[in-house]
Amino acid sequence: MKLFRILTTFLVTIATLFSLALPAEAFCGFYVAKADTDLYNQASQVAIARDGDRTILTMANDYQGDVQDFALVVPVPVILTEDRVRVGDPKIMQRLDAFSAPRLVEYFDENPCNPRPEYLQRGGTRGAPAPQAALEESEDSTLGVTVEASFSVGEYDILILSATESSGLETWLINNGYKIPPGAKELLQPYIRQDMKFFVAKVNLAEYKQAGYEFLRPLMMAYESPKFMLPIRLGMTNAKQDQDLIVYLLSPQGQTELTNYRTVQVPSNVEIPEFVKNEFGDFYKSMFQTVYEREGKKVAFLEYAWNMQTCDPCAAEPLSPEELEQAGVFWLQPGQRPNVFISRLHVRYTRDKFPEDLRFQTTANKQNFQGRYVIRHPYKGEMNCPAAEPYQQALQQRQEQEVQTLANLTRWDIQTIRDKANLSQVQTTPWWRNIWN
Amino acid sequence: MLLQDARISQIIFLSLFLFLGLSTRDWTLRPDLILVAIASCLLTQWLLSCFVPFVKSKIRSYQIPKLGVKEVKSRVQLFELTCLRSAAITALGLCLLLRCNDYTTMAIAGSLAIASKFLFRHKNKHFFNPANFGIIAALILTQDAWVSPGQWGTDWWYLLLFFCTGGTILKQVGRWDTSIAFLVAYTLLEGLRNYWLGWSWDVLQHELMSGSLLLFAFFMLTDPRSIPNATISRIIWAVAIAFLTFILRNQFYLSTAVFWALFFLSPLTIWLDTIWSAPKFEWLKTINKRLPNQSFTTS
Repeated sequence: MKLFRILTTFLVTIATLFSLALPAEAFCGFYVAKADTDLYNQASQVAIARDGDRTILTMANDYQGDVQDFALVVPVPVILTEDRVRVGDPKIMQRLDAFSAPRLVEYFDENPCNPRPEYLQRGGTRGAPAPQAALEESEDSTLGVTVEASFSVGEYDILILSATESSGLETWLINNGYKIPPGAKELLQPYIRQDMKFFVAKVNLAEYKQAGYEFLRPLMMAYESPKFMLPIRLGMTNAKQDQDLIVYLLSPQGQTELTNYRTVQVPSNVEIPEFVKNEFGDFYKSMFQTVYEREGKKVAFLEYAWNMQTCDPCAAEPLSPEELEQAGVFWLQPGQRPNVFISRLHVRYTRDKFPEDLRFQTTANKQNFQGRYVIRHPYKGEMNCPAAEPYQQALQQRQEQEVQTLANLTRWDIQTIRDKANLSQVQTTPWWRNIWN
Repeated sequence: MLLQDARISQIIFLSLFLFLGLSTRDWTLRPDLILVAIASCLLTQWLLSCFVPFVKSKIRSYQIPKLGVKEVKSRVQLFELTCLRSAAITALGLCLLLRCNDYTTMAIAGSLAIASKFLFRHKNKHFFNPANFGIIAALILTQDAWVSPGQWGTDWWYLLLFFCTGGTILKQVGRWDTSIAFLVAYTLLEGLRNYWLGWSWDVLQHELMSGSLLLFAFFMLTDPRSIPNATISRIIWAVAIAFLTFILRNQFYLSTAVFWALFFLSPLTIWLDTIWSAPKFEWLKTINKRLPNQSFTTS
């Protein structure tokens, strides 16, 4: 019989988590309004499938303003033709998100009065079997702006611009009805000088209304370029506070990491009090903020790194080959098992701590990692045996440790945690019960 | 004095970095891979510098009496431990910089790093930096190796640490000029590019404070045994490496640009040494000078 029988394991997906948790305002480009509306970018999610120089990038935005005001400018490394741009399925980002989300698992202690006393061994949870289930062209020569391509994809009207001067590009955008955030001009210049192009998208209202979409769908682009980077500087022009970016990096080799910032694993495999089950979103939010501050606000966090063939425990079912293709994975061979390694990076950035755009590299690192948080429920039934007392003492120590771990990870008030944790009291058996029971 | 040998200080400092890296920079380096790196470097060094010459000398001493010549006592020792110091430095360098999944990759890197000292020689001087050669060999020959340039971060604390410890070593070996020439040239090039692009200066500051760049500049670029002997040669050589690094990084987007630049330009040492001759560096120069029958080769 197993020491810790796993009754359930469950997961709170990060989608729920982030909708509750993160005051995110980010994008790798910037939104430009066509009306005088104060616009803020919301949590951005980007998926990048890359093998060699070939890249398919998916940008999912959860733009909150009026659709007719939506317009987006993103620097891209090459001129994108119509056939290299398409609209993705929003569900695929949700699938990537759910699959790679930090997860909460729970275990239930067995009755200590059953014959196997190994429960006293510390670290028993990790020794237990892994959980099985889970809930879980026209040219304006005076301005130096060239429209390299102009086309419509789905509900989007897209322009690919190249420019020679940032002031010309700024003027062109203003003349064409785009509202540029203040300070954007200086930031456009470095991209122009690096010979990058500008991907400008706005919503074709007629198409949007006709199709009856409720929200904007992700934009996908395919290109070849040795530049493996995400421009984040432009996205900081209209942000007032730190911004969150989740990047799903899909590779046939192994983990993807940043080369110009440290990539740090989020705290994982820690045991936390039972009550966190009901407030996992708050817990993760506080924990992330704490570790973000402890690292000086200048590192990127690895939340998940795994070969997508499997998962343990699974936050969501692995993506099918069809879903992987929808996520931009282009190297799958029919009939072969998909070789896709996913790295989920969570970058919370501000202008002063992240001065450079994000540069990535794919590595051969195949070490798996997941943000995993463990709840162990004590045995609450009747215990009538000598093993009960040591169990309760060990339990008390364990719960105190869980309280301290939680306080340390989240900076929550330790007394409040103790109150909420409703710690077990050791019920000592009177000595005479040994003979008079 | 043991510490007269700069290699000892270097071993101490590199071990300190490794300890700091493992404890504070949460690396993915595994202890077993550290052991493989150290074992492969030390074993290769012992085989090629002690065992092979020892066997050769034995064969020679066996042949000499046959030729009717009086036997000379072999001066080659089977266990000469001083030569292992350089190998230990190479091993620590590999541990700090190279990442891989398999033992074989680290063993290939370690053994080829040391073997390069014996294979690629000109006038009794090797011209590839062993650790750099090992890294490039692993990157080319396997699909399993990578270097993580971001993992040292950009902290002031590490900048100071590398500057002070690197400075101590460089003062001992007299190779300050190389690090300074490289860093000045690279800063100028990146600074000009930054100015031309129109980035704010904190972008440049962030690029230059990369711990990996400083570790390279102070601890890899300055290996006194493999770099040019004359000061002027070293400055030209370091500037050339800075220039090539700049091009590989910004034009070809290579995240490992510094290592490739050093690898490609290492053979330049031979040519520079023929133009500007200077005494070859010896680790135990001051100690050896006191010994009779020892002379230094000049290239």
